Amino acid sequence: MPDDVAAFLFAEARLLDQRRWQDWLGLFTADGMYWAPLGFDQPDPVNHASLFYEDALLREVRAQRLEEKRAWSQQPVTQAARIVGNILPLPDEDGDLMVASTFHMLEWRRDGQRMLGGQYTHRLRRTPQGLRIVLKRIDLINREDVQDTLETFL
Amino acid sequence: MDMHVAHGPDPARLVEPDRVHRSVYTDPAIFELEMRRIFGRAWVYVGHESQVPNPGDYHQALIGRESVFMVRAPEGGVHVLFNRCAHKGAKLVAFPDGNVGKFIRCPFHGWNYRCDGTLHSVPMREGYAGTRFDAADPQFSVRRVPRQASYRGFVFASLAADGPDLESFLGGIRTSLDNFCDRAPAGEVEVAGGVFRVWQHSNWKIFFENLNDTSHPMVTHESSVNAARARYRAMAGETKMPFKLLIIEGNGEPYEFWDKLEMVAFDGGHSYMGAIFVPPTDPVSLAHIETLKAAYGEARTQEILEVQRHNSIIYPSCSPHTSFQQLRVIRPVAVDRTMVEIYTFRLKGAPEALFQRAITYANVVNSPSSNVMPDDIEVYARCQQGLATDGGEWVSLHRDAGRDRAIQGGFVANGLSELPMRNQFRAWAQYMAEEG
Repeated sequence: MPDDVAAFLFAEARLLDQRRWQDWLGLFTADGMYWAPLGFDQPDPVNHASLFYEDALLREVRAQRLEEKRAWSQQPVTQAARIVGNILPLPDEDGDLMVASTFHMLEWRRDGQRMLGGQYTHRLRRTPQGLRIVLKRIDLINREDVQDTLETFL
Repeated sequence: MDMHVAHGPDPARLVEPDRVHRSVYTDPAIFELEMRRIFGRAWVYVGHESQVPNPGDYHQALIGRESVFMVRAPEGGVHVLFNRCAHKGAKLVAFPDGNVGKFIRCPFHGWNYRCDGTLHSVPMREGYAGTRFDAADPQFSVRRVPRQASYRGFVFASLAADGPDLESFLGGIRTSLDNFCDRAPAGEVEVAGGVFRVWQHSNWKIFFENLNDTSHPMVTHESSVNAARARYRAMAGETKMPFKLLIIEGNGEPYEFWDKLEMVAFDGGHSYMGAIFVPPTDPVSLAHIETLKAAYGEARTQEILEVQRHNSIIYPSCSPHTSFQQLRVIRPVAVDRTMVEIYTFRLKGAPEALFQRAITYANVVNSPSSNVMPDDIEVYARCQQGLATDGGEWVSLHRDAGRDRAIQGGFVANGLSELPMRNQFRAWAQYMAEEG
């Protein structure tokens, strides 16, 4: 696997931990998608509900809401720290790099700390600006469970 | 102020026409009483028949705290059974949805039951010879709920052997379920596309009150409204707000808009919020309307579409949103904890794009990861926490109190009126007053 892929995933995770939303949004291609399936065997994001299925527009809405003064559920804001590991290459798709990894994430808000975890699958494209995300897929291990709200990006 | 009588809380003293005592939300003894007197009597939504299409299919549900499941029998009927083996008490089914196979088989000692709950077989039957075990005695079968009934595919159950039938119970709110189904060219709906399940750290009644509360959106949802508006402004050249922004931004309508809507409340705690009918112009709606006209003709189609409703409330267990094909199911778990399930429905015979739009609506507005809902859940939790303080004894339901106009089987009021909340507590007090 190319050397820069792991570094890219670590840097991406750090942007999210630091709530640097605008920098993170810039990592996507214009048509890049952010998808967290709801079901264990969910075939697609169009005919089935998803925990997240967001294009650039919806990602921008989320990023902006998180910083709104009257986002009541961000008083105080969500703090997160994540570890990304077990990074492995998958077969390329149409020239894009496919990368599997595992993440473990701690999240804190006023009433307590929770653990989230699962698999990331990144579809990455080499562009003149560097690696860009065509698809970030998040498979939470507890995606079919009853959830507390998921406000920030995973 | 002591709201308890010698043997426990006295519900009659907790509800007045325009205010309720805070203990209805915070007192665990009240919650216990609600489990018996409300959830032990009312018709509670179990699921939709389309969730169990094939023999052996089951769907789990909660009636109050009772774990039940509905299961499709080989003969075709649906039965609602307690999730408990008659032998040692083990829960029989484990998944939210699944299939039992030919028989319901207990995972512990292999007692087998038919899908109507009756005992089919036990291993080594001869061991019971000469004992008080009797396969024909109902105590050795899976217990059925005392009453179950279905309205246009929506299955409800009651833990009380006696009481009004389902249609009388639904009363005027039947029209919301009717319109839900009538919007399908085939006259039927089906559950599809998965279910969201979300925790609320607050009493179940707080959510029910919010479902028809029109004076909260512009305040509670300011963050998501602002964000949606800003992103729309940044879309150079766009003259029409995309659907996925519109359904967020709609909460930002001014008070005057909401006050013009009609609040209609029925006996039993049910109500709905009427929307103003604006003929749709988007391609998805237009294609849907064409399929309706083909099925029903022009005049009937118009009649169906003119029934425009935001949230309807079927007290005390669910809330359909007919125009975006959602059903939210409310399960009280503890005095300060509620689980909400969000189902999306396909209108049979309508274009797939309509179902896909309903999926988008569910994702954007009703999911645990929605940009809209976290602010709701936050303020509900703040109510729960604030009500636990000694900062006050009563919760106000005064907006437009005394101005509700009586109609057949209920009341009607202006859109900002707190009529639906007063109406819910009128039903609550009736349920809670009866011994049991």
